[in-house]
Amino acid sequence: MNGGDHLPAAGTDPDWFKRAVFYEVLVRSFKDSDGDGAGDLRGLTDKLDYLHWLGVDCLWLPPFYPSPLRDGGYDVSDYKGVLPEFGTLEDFSRFVRLAHDRSMRVIIDFVMNHTSDQHPWFQASRENPDGPYGDFYVWADDDTGYPDARIIFVDTESSNWTFDPVRRQYFWHRFFGHQPDLNYDNPAVGEAIIDALRFWLDLGIDGFRLDAVPYLFEEEGTNCENLPRTHSFLKQVRKVIDDEYPDTVLLSEANQWPADVVEYFGEFSAGGDECHMAFHFPVMPRIFMAVRRESRYPVSEIMAQTPLIPTNCQWGIFLRNHDELTLEMVTDDERDYMWAEYAKDPRMKANIGIRRRLAPLLENDTDQIELFTAMLLSLPGSPVLYYGDEIGMGDNIWLGDRDSVRTPMQWTPDRNAGFSNAEPGRLTLPVVMDAVYGYQVTNVESHLTNTSSLLHWTRHMIEVRKQNPAFGLGDFTDIGGSNPSVLSYVREFGDDIVLCVNNLSRFPQPVELDLRRHEGFQPIELMGGVRFPPIGELPYLLTLAPHGFYWFRLVPQVAESTP
Amino acid sequence: MTVEAVTALLPAWLPHQRWFGGKDQPIDGLTVVAATQLREREPEFWHLLVEVTQGDKAIVYQVPVSLRDRAGDRLEHVLLGEVDGRFVYDALHDKETTAELLRRFEAQDQVEELTFHTEPGALLPLGEPSLVLTAEQSNTSLAYGDSALLKVFRRLVPGVNPDVEIHDALTRAGCEYVAPLLGWLDGGWTDRDGEQQTAGLAMLQKFLVTATDGWALATTSVRDLYAEADLRADEVGGDFAAESARLGMATAGVHACMADVLPTRTLSRDEVAAMATRMVERLDDAVEIAPELLPFAPALAKAFDDLADLDDVIAAQRIHGDYHLGQVMRTVVGWKLVDFEGEPEKPLAERVALDSPVRDVAAMLRSFDYAARHLQIVDHPDNEQIAYRAVEWAERNRSAFCDGYAKSSGRDPREADVLLRAYETDKVVYEAVYEARNRPSWLPIPLAGAERLATR
Repeated sequence: MNGGDHLPAAGTDPDWFKRAVFYEVLVRSFKDSDGDGAGDLRGLTDKLDYLHWLGVDCLWLPPFYPSPLRDGGYDVSDYKGVLPEFGTLEDFSRFVRLAHDRSMRVIIDFVMNHTSDQHPWFQASRENPDGPYGDFYVWADDDTGYPDARIIFVDTESSNWTFDPVRRQYFWHRFFGHQPDLNYDNPAVGEAIIDALRFWLDLGIDGFRLDAVPYLFEEEGTNCENLPRTHSFLKQVRKVIDDEYPDTVLLSEANQWPADVVEYFGEFSAGGDECHMAFHFPVMPRIFMAVRRESRYPVSEIMAQTPLIPTNCQWGIFLRNHDELTLEMVTDDERDYMWAEYAKDPRMKANIGIRRRLAPLLENDTDQIELFTAMLLSLPGSPVLYYGDEIGMGDNIWLGDRDSVRTPMQWTPDRNAGFSNAEPGRLTLPVVMDAVYGYQVTNVESHLTNTSSLLHWTRHMIEVRKQNPAFGLGDFTDIGGSNPSVLSYVREFGDDIVLCVNNLSRFPQPVELDLRRHEGFQPIELMGGVRFPPIGELPYLLTLAPHGFYWFRLVPQVAESTP
Repeated sequence: MTVEAVTALLPAWLPHQRWFGGKDQPIDGLTVVAATQLREREPEFWHLLVEVTQGDKAIVYQVPVSLRDRAGDRLEHVLLGEVDGRFVYDALHDKETTAELLRRFEAQDQVEELTFHTEPGALLPLGEPSLVLTAEQSNTSLAYGDSALLKVFRRLVPGVNPDVEIHDALTRAGCEYVAPLLGWLDGGWTDRDGEQQTAGLAMLQKFLVTATDGWALATTSVRDLYAEADLRADEVGGDFAAESARLGMATAGVHACMADVLPTRTLSRDEVAAMATRMVERLDDAVEIAPELLPFAPALAKAFDDLADLDDVIAAQRIHGDYHLGQVMRTVVGWKLVDFEGEPEKPLAERVALDSPVRDVAAMLRSFDYAARHLQIVDHPDNEQIAYRAVEWAERNRSAFCDGYAKSSGRDPREADVLLRAYETDKVVYEAVYEARNRPSWLPIPLAGAERLATR
């Protein structure tokens, strides 16, 4: 532990999320402290030193609430509790405190749109239509309302309405039939939700990732997404945060085109008055596309289409997360193509996505994994790493639903990958055991002992990123270049100017870059500190190895002479 | 300065410039036909039009020069020489004189016979330093920062410059598939026969920042295919078909726009027959130069005979005229067409003549063939497998291009099969002559095209 390594005082670091590297960690799959076969909060707490060593700044915990677990915990049955197998509220408080001691922040998932059908609110609502919870959900006598709302889980749900035999009415749900949507038309619902948010903020957390925000309100004659009243409610939530919990972040999950997602940042002139952050979904499939095509245009195009965001806001970007590779955002042509390329096995498809981890998606090619990670860490936005990707973990496509990418973290070559000392059969999900990605080979311990491992490399990259504020705070300028297979851009924040050059091709490539704007500067390679020739007026020539990349800091040239 | 003294430097300097046309012939005469001072104080800036006589040919060149009391910074490589102890430079490389040009555009100045025009509402790149990017066969292009490109025509052809004319028309029409025109420079002079002449001297347009040309992109795709010779063109990662389709749509978009805002008419049967006759003549000539064409000649001639017999009404309009993958730029907002000068070797009247847009389509289809085959010809001359895959790549992308064109225009160019085939055949004949003369090792590309056209 580094002594004196604490978070800044509350209210003094409102921009922290713009510089942060996020790390999504599933409590269930990270570390089991009590040998019951499931990861828990104490186990996760035990691994905080590892995460601190890795250098991540903020941990994002998907739902750990009490839940019947029919949707990975996104079916919450108590907004103010902890799933017993994960531990207690005290365990959670201790986890937050010890994370803060290591200057790491914590954000948690919060599912605003719906609850589990096991939630007491729903049970009360179905049994007593006239009671205090009778109007907490969206009930109707028939299933004809809101016909223009699309069905999101097309392969399991046939309607957004499900009949409840107890209340003898239909209830509305945008996701699974066991996840009734809350009725935000009822002001008591908004109040109850804000009360639950305060509950967690009072425990010291640093923010929320708000799940499925576009769907809070419904209105006849619309597609029931992104409605003005949904935005009003988010503004109301933001006001509470700003007034009572400074330095707290709201990260919205609005799986839409960037031009629509910007709505969730709120008023541009006010610097943003809804969510501080939103995921930039299309970046990720475009990166895959660009490397496959050996052409920068898939990425350059989406960056050019990305609107400006309010000054106090930031994109969140990722390569993989607990959900599947999202293809909703790409055009039909591209979707067909992504399917053909990445989902040759039909079992890899889920909904309209693909459940694979980064390493198997890239056929375990280290050069490509590094190139993808370098782009993730250098494109505009705060990067979100997915647990296990730092050691190149694999997936288990034979597990149902989205569990293929939620297998236990692989710590050691010992039993259960060092994740748990339970009987192997008791593990809630089996560890990956294949010849390439199996825990005997792919684990934190072996990566730690091998200094050229992906883990050490990732840690180094995170460290370099932190030394250059331009990555988190800087402007983005695509600088093109003579070679369409090379993606180059400059990130600039004050005098911190970083040039990133990525070879998207599997072949070596030369590129000539027009760097006239930085004439007289000298590029210093950020991983090794090597000084490259100064930039002149003429195109700057670089050569790159297959899938190679460079990060340079551009500094004014100083004459090297001895006095 | 004395214009005469600067003129005296030109005979030694001109023949070393890429854009100078008559390198292989001595200069018989050199006259300054127009000299306009654009700036008096240091660096002094003179805009010269110089008529160079070589044998019976006289060509007017545009030569702006700057004069400096002291040697300029990084201008050594464009020094014409010294006059009265002052240094004379090619003014297009001198950042202070190129900035003067922008100021003249902004003021929409008329200085003697030079007229600076700007498009309504154009944003000029004032204050941006310039850099010469390329010295092409007949122009010099310079970029102002990354916001504007100034293309200076070095070899002047009297009359309306088609590049300026078409960019102006398309910009005013709001066509999204070209780089918008910001302004242009017209000039006039009196030639050696005492005739008053005018010409477009330069055009300023929006710089296509981060763009790459279609040839570079297509080559990336082809290279990827070659590296996986057991995979087909639709299976490899570098598949180009979606880009080709978008390019087809852009092409159709530009054709539609040109038809809207520039003259159109229909070709009479006599004109079509005459066109077919010229194509047959070119084939006859070509067989002399590239006898390898001989086996295919009768079948190729059939394409022209069919054209002569064609009953269809052929709509004619302004077209690109020199269309190929090097004339299209991929930008982050899709494809843009550039360079509407037409084939530089042709006389102006032919370059601006109305023709069927199918000619551009045919030319681009040929370009796909070139993109597919040129690496194979150079790097893998005897590799049958790669040659086979290359043909598949060309077919896939030609077809995608036509699909895109049809989707945008509502007319599939493949339905005009007689016309398309005649234009493509004519292009192959032209290519065969060009390769036989200049690059015999590339001759197999047009020959394979000729074989395909002859046997289908």
